[in-house]
Amino acid sequence: MTAETLLTEMPSLSKLYVNAAATAAKSRLVRAEPVLALPARAIEVRGVSADLAKVTEFAHLMGEPARDVLPSGYLHAFVFPVAMSVMVQEDFPLPLLGMIHLRNDVEHLAPVLFSDELSVRAWARDLTGHRSGTQVQIVAEIHNADGTELLWRGVSTYLAKGVFLPGLDKPTTAAARVDFIPPAPTAQWRLGVDTGRAYAAVSGDFNPIHLSVLSAKALGLRRSIAHGMYAAARVLATVPQSKPDTFYWDIAFDSPMFLPATVSLEVVDHRTDDGAWLSSVFTAWDARTARKYFNGSVSAGRSVID
Amino acid sequence: MTTPTTPGIRKAVIVGGNRIPFARTGGAYAHSSNQDMLTAALDGLVARFGLAGEQIGEVAAGAVLKHSRDFNLTREAVLGSALAATTPAYDLQQACATGMEAVIGLSNKIKLGQIDSAIAGGVDSASDAPISVSEGLRAILLDLNRAKTTGQKLKTLSRIRPKDLSPDAPSTGEPRTGLSMGEHQALTTAQWKISREAQDELALASHKNLAAAYDRNFFDDLLTPFRGLSRDSNLRADSSMEKLAKLKPVFGKSLGDAATMTAGNSTPLTDGASTVLLASEAWAAARELPILADVVDGEAGAVDFVHGKDGLLMAPAFAVPRLLARNGLTLADFDYFEIHEAFAGTVLSTLAAWEDEEFGITRLGLDGAFGSIDRSKLNVNGSSLAAGHPFAATGGRLIATLAKMLHERGQVDGRPARGLISVCAAGGQGVVAILEAR
Repeated sequence: MTAETLLTEMPSLSKLYVNAAATAAKSRLVRAEPVLALPARAIEVRGVSADLAKVTEFAHLMGEPARDVLPSGYLHAFVFPVAMSVMVQEDFPLPLLGMIHLRNDVEHLAPVLFSDELSVRAWARDLTGHRSGTQVQIVAEIHNADGTELLWRGVSTYLAKGVFLPGLDKPTTAAARVDFIPPAPTAQWRLGVDTGRAYAAVSGDFNPIHLSVLSAKALGLRRSIAHGMYAAARVLATVPQSKPDTFYWDIAFDSPMFLPATVSLEVVDHRTDDGAWLSSVFTAWDARTARKYFNGSVSAGRSVID
Repeated sequence: MTTPTTPGIRKAVIVGGNRIPFARTGGAYAHSSNQDMLTAALDGLVARFGLAGEQIGEVAAGAVLKHSRDFNLTREAVLGSALAATTPAYDLQQACATGMEAVIGLSNKIKLGQIDSAIAGGVDSASDAPISVSEGLRAILLDLNRAKTTGQKLKTLSRIRPKDLSPDAPSTGEPRTGLSMGEHQALTTAQWKISREAQDELALASHKNLAAAYDRNFFDDLLTPFRGLSRDSNLRADSSMEKLAKLKPVFGKSLGDAATMTAGNSTPLTDGASTVLLASEAWAAARELPILADVVDGEAGAVDFVHGKDGLLMAPAFAVPRLLARNGLTLADFDYFEIHEAFAGTVLSTLAAWEDEEFGITRLGLDGAFGSIDRSKLNVNGSSLAAGHPFAATGGRLIATLAKMLHERGQVDGRPARGLISVCAAGGQGVVAILEAR
C-alpha cells in the first residue's frame, strides 16, 4: 500500500453520511459502468487522540468502569470515520448506505491510553463475491504518533446486499444452514428502542438504520436495529473482566437485532489449570424466538492469523 | 469429641497502598463515577503488588455519597479488576472514617486468622454525586408501581405537583441540626479560641509539606496517575500567609469578627479513591512482598454534639486518650501524628483540648491535661487541607502514607517508629489507630 490520502483532521461522520447519500444518488444517475476494483490508496490521519468525555460516556453506557486505557469498542468508534472515508470515495465500488456488517476481527497489540497521540490508517481489501451480493473488508490500524508502533488493528467485513459485480467469483451454494439450538444463557440484555440512539450518541455512528423506526424504514428495514458494535462492545465490557495488554477478538453477525430486543447471551471461559484466563467464546440469540444474533471469541495474547 | 481450633491473635501488617491523585470537584474526575475511581485505585494496587489472579481474603471499601445502584460497589470493582473473581467484598460506610474502619475491621479478621490478606479502600465523588427525586415524587412513584388498574394509575399520577419535580442533592449538613459541617466546626473553633493566623499557618504547612513530599518522589509508590492527573489538584505549592490572609471567612459568619474559617483553611470537596493492602506476616512473606508497618490497634468514638455539648468533629479528642491508655502509651511515645485536616480548626481544637487541664480532668477523667504533641511530628507530608478529602478515601491515604513514613524511619530509641492516626467524621464520630514500623 504505497499511495495514500492524508487527512488533516478526523473527518466528521455526519458529513460522511450526507456525502454517502449524495454519492449514492449521483452514481445512480451518472455512473454508467460499475467500478470493479478497490481504490489502492489508504486514508490516514495523524496526531489525533481520544475525546475523554466521550470515552467515559462510552464505558458507562457499556456498564464498565471508565479507565485510562481505551475500551476496544471505543477504539472501533474512534477509527470509524477514517474507515468510512475509505467507503465514500468516488471510486469505491460499493454503496455505503445499506451495507450489512458481517463480522469484525480485532487485535490489541498494546494498551491505548486516552492521552496518547495516535495515527489512524484505513484501507479496503478483499473485494469478493457473496451468495447474496458483494463483500469487502475495511482494515483500520492505530499506530503511535510517529507511526512506528502498531497498537490496534480492526478488520470489518461488510456485505453490499444485491450488488453483484461482474468478474467476481461467488459461492454457488449457500453454506449449509445449521440449526441453532440455544444453550443455557449466562446473561440477558433488555435493549430498549433507544439503544441505537444511545450508542450513536457515544460512538458518533448516526447511521439512520439504528436511530428510529422511520429512518430505518427509509432504508428498507421494518424497524431500527442495534449497532453490531454495540453488541461487541458490550460483550467486551465484561469479557474478560480485566484485559491483558495483548488480546484479540472476533464477532460474526447472523441476524439483525431489531429493537426493542431481549438478548440471551452465553459466555464460556477457558482457563489454565491455575485459573489464568485464556479465552472466552460467546453466543447471543433472541430470547423469545431463539434466532441467533451473533457469536464470537476473545483470546489472550497475539493473533496468529492476519 | 472434636472442638474447633482457632489460630488465636497474630499480627496484621500493611504491605502498601495505592491511590489516585485527588481532584477538586468538577475537575479532572468530574465525569468519573465512584466505580471508575475505585477500580483505578484497585487496578494500580494489583499491578504494584502482582496480585493478578490472586484470591484476596476480603476486600472492604465504601463511599459516603453513593448511588443506590452501587449497592455492591466494592464487589463490582473487584469483578472489574484482575483479582480472582472468587475474592469476596463488602461495602461499608462510616462517613469520613470509612477507610479507617475498613482497615481496622479487616486487620482484626487477619489478626483472628479468619483471612490471610485483605484490601481496604474508599472512594468518593462530590462531582458525580447521587441526586434523588423529591420525597413527594418518590412516594407517588412507589404507589404508582403498586397501582393495578389504569384508573388507579392515573389517579396516582394526578397527585404529582410541580414542587415534587425538583430533585434533592446531597449536602454535608447534619440531619439533626441542619448545620453544615463547616458551621459546626466554626462553633468549635470559636469555643477553643483558635486564631485565624494559627489556622492559616496549619494550612500553609499542609501545602508546603505535601509539595515537598511530591518533589522528593515520596508518593511514587503510593499513587497511580488517573485522567491525566499525577498530583492532587488542590495542592498549592506557591501558597503563602499573605494569600491565605486575603480570603474572606466562609463559615461562622454569624460570629462576626470571630469568624476565622476560610476556603483556604477548610478542605474543599474533592473526588478520589484509595486502597491499602493488608496481610498476615506469612502471606506477605510467601509472596516476597514488603511489610511497611503493623496495625497495632484502633478505636472508634462518638460525641454528643447535637445540642452543642461537644463539637461535631471532636470525637477523636476522646477516642485517642482511650486508645493510648489501653496500649499503655502517651503522646510522647509517638514519632508521627496524622490528624485529618477536615478543617485547620479541627486539628487545632483537638490539640487545644488535649492541652487543656480542665478538659483533661472533667471530660477525660485524667489528673490534668492529656498532653501536647511536638508539632514537627504533625502531618509531616501534608494532609487533607492540601491533598483534599474525598470522604471515604482519606483513611486509605493516611494509612498508606503513615505506614511508608514509619517504614522509612525504622527504629527510634531501640523501638519501632510509632504513628497515630486520627480521623473525625460526620455524625459526631471519629476513628483513630496506632501503627508501628516494620
